[in-house]
Amino acid sequence: MKIFRFISILLLISLFSPLAWGQDKKSNAPKEKAPLLSGVGVGVDICGLAMKAVGARFANMEVCARVGLKEKFFPIFEIGIGDCTRYGGETTNVFSTRAPYWRIGMDYNINKKVNGNRFLVGFRYGITSYKYDFTAPDFEDPIYGIARPLELEGLKGNNQWLELCIGFETKLWSIMRLGWNIRYKTRTMQSVSELGEPYFVPGFGKNDGNAFGGSVYLTFDIGKSARKNGQKPLLGNLFGKHKQKGETTKGKDSEPSTEESPRAAKRRHN
Amino acid sequence: MKQRKGFFLAFLLAIAGLNSCDTIDCTLNNIVEMRCNFYKDGNPAQLNDTLTITAMGTDEVLLNRKYMVSSVVLPLSYFNLEDTLILTVKGEDYEASDTMWIEKTSYNHFESPDCPVNMFHDITAVRTTHLFIDSVTITHSDVNFSDHENLQIHFYPSAD
Repeated sequence: MKIFRFISILLLISLFSPLAWGQDKKSNAPKEKAPLLSGVGVGVDICGLAMKAVGARFANMEVCARVGLKEKFFPIFEIGIGDCTRYGGETTNVFSTRAPYWRIGMDYNINKKVNGNRFLVGFRYGITSYKYDFTAPDFEDPIYGIARPLELEGLKGNNQWLELCIGFETKLWSIMRLGWNIRYKTRTMQSVSELGEPYFVPGFGKNDGNAFGGSVYLTFDIGKSARKNGQKPLLGNLFGKHKQKGETTKGKDSEPSTEESPRAAKRRHN
Repeated sequence: MKQRKGFFLAFLLAIAGLNSCDTIDCTLNNIVEMRCNFYKDGNPAQLNDTLTITAMGTDEVLLNRKYMVSSVVLPLSYFNLEDTLILTVKGEDYEASDTMWIEKTSYNHFESPDCPVNMFHDITAVRTTHLFIDSVTITHSDVNFSDHENLQIHFYPSAD
């Protein structure tokens, strides 16, 4: 429940972000062209960190780095640590693992406007190599009555999987962005110990042929588009309404005035 | 704005749905036993007398006076390298016992922390006395969840 509350708060923050206040559908501002290299971003999955903080039975804590191309394509590299300690509900068995994982892929921004919002669809290919432990302290032969605690440690596993992602991302403030995505994961390769399969695969989740996942990313965009993607900063939105008519803003990052369209200005000039 | 609200609502529902589904997937057929079928003159046979099977090292009776039996499923020990089984056939006017030694290697098998741990076996050799058992053949050496035949126990015709 704590996780739900945490995610809900994040989403509410995102929902009432400055972008929503600054939207003006009828604005006739000229379209902004995004440069080829439209920025570099680094991010952290706060959902995984929150899950770890509240003591969830498993968590994938990860960071990412990405490059923006034309504000459309975002090649991305994600690296993280998957951590799981799972106690059996009806047994005294314990499964545990902690290992790194990597994902590489690309997002495509289907939002045609360069306005700070990004509707992203994409894919990832994930790879992990890990060791896992399984212990059963009450392991006993029911017929012969001999009890020997079972301690299987350092069992090796390798997994690869493909992820299809869909998500949404918006600008919070300045270079700070918040976004979420949900992912459908399908296993492409698995190599595990013949003694038993792992309960959890780092980066993938609960071990199965398919899985769903998600992440909430706090991203910091740096680069050319970071300050040009059409989003007014928080303070700019708050105080922009009180500007005097004749007052002009300087610099190429400033927003064009919405009080008079370019067509109207041309008509008036003629 | 409405579109964004829809997206966020969909996300919340998706997260709630994903986290609400957590099932325990333990194998239903999780009994590990060695299946022995009886043969006489090369054909499947039914023993018309009562059969009792005990094992050295345990007070448990693995099979207690089973009548008209054509196959038995027996548990193997988890930690012994060799199991010693005593098969006793009792008729109206006779009683005979044979001893069968089963050499094996055992290894653990687990599925999930929520499921009990099992022990699988690999039968490497079988020896027996020959009072009423003619011979024993290993057909499948692996003893696991599958229900296939592991041993063929061939009786002398006189045991019937």
